[in-house]
Amino acid sequence: MDLFEALKGRRSIRRYRTDPVDDKQIEAILETGRWAPSWANTQCWRFIVIRDANVKAQLAETMMTVKLPDREIPNPALNAMSTAPVVIAVCAEMGKSGVKHGTGDTSIEYATDKGDWFMFDIALAVENMLLAAYGQGLGTVIIGAFDAPKAEKILNVPKCYRIVTFFPVGVPELPGKAPPRKELSEIVIKDKFS
Amino acid sequence: MDVFEAIRNRRSIRQYKPDPVDDKTVEKVLEAAHWAPSWGNQQCWRFVVVRDPKIKSEIADTLNKVTIDNELVENAAASSIRQAPVLIVFCAEKGKAGYSVDGTPLNDKGEYWYMFDIALAVQNLTLAAHALGLGTVIVGGFNVSEVEKILDVPGGCTVVTMTPLGVPDQKGQVSPRKQLSEVIIKDKFS
Repeated sequence: MDLFEALKGRRSIRRYRTDPVDDKQIEAILETGRWAPSWANTQCWRFIVIRDANVKAQLAETMMTVKLPDREIPNPALNAMSTAPVVIAVCAEMGKSGVKHGTGDTSIEYATDKGDWFMFDIALAVENMLLAAYGQGLGTVIIGAFDAPKAEKILNVPKCYRIVTFFPVGVPELPGKAPPRKELSEIVIKDKFS
Repeated sequence: MDVFEAIRNRRSIRQYKPDPVDDKTVEKVLEAAHWAPSWGNQQCWRFVVVRDPKIKSEIADTLNKVTIDNELVENAAASSIRQAPVLIVFCAEKGKAGYSVDGTPLNDKGEYWYMFDIALAVQNLTLAAHALGLGTVIVGGFNVSEVEKILDVPGGCTVVTMTPLGVPDQKGQVSPRKQLSEVIIKDKFS
């Protein structure tokens, strides 16, 4: 698939078919995660490929409800966790990304006011994987609102890692809708803010 | 260009030709960035397109120096910023991504979820640039408050990262990657 077609056509998919997704398709997705750039090539990402229905169900339980002005509803992607055959959880090794040049062996000093850049590097890899899934006709949706400590316990995540996000991978039941975007003029600034 | 080819062959480019990059091309890569998904469709990103050589040079001066052979030298990306005709600076509006409607961070990462959303957009931009024959290199090590001063960044926004955008004057080096087996876990950590 053409890159620009993928960039523009990818949607967040919240309803899936139960059709299988084979290991080769998953590996093609993970490969693109691996080829993302990272802070000083530290590659802090770890990808957990979850096919076990029980683990997927436990992870679904960590998802937060969505608060609307008048009521609370389950996350609209909740059912995706059981219908989609695969969930990829992405963890970060802490103390790698964003670390000041020449430090990190015995003590860690971060290079910027942003501290550890794990959120940034993980997202670079995640975006590649979303595009690679879409390029194979598969849907994804990034889940960020969940109880991370609980998810880390379920997945036995070692202390030096943190879970950042997870996303189902499967055959979309319906094409997704494009949420409206701001106009470019609202978000592009020339040379400096005035 | 095929999506897999773009992802596989994009490199970080640190040497640029002075060849111009027109506004239409810049708009194309910004559009690509803007099509990234975002937390609650908040689109917290703001893109500053710097063409003014004086501003570019001032920003280049804020990059962290690096120590090589016990000597403090300029980051290679500083000269990239001076060479390339365009510098794109990514700012984030804080308190949007990762926050609930009542204005509090939704979970333990809510406060810096903007780093995640900005990176989704950045990655789209680097891929689009590569497909258009242009180079980029993500720069993170610089003095943020100085850059915010140079660009008059309003309160509530912060500068996250930047990349030069221009015609590559080098092929770009392939940084070795860990094997997939080193970064994949099945079902759960054992």
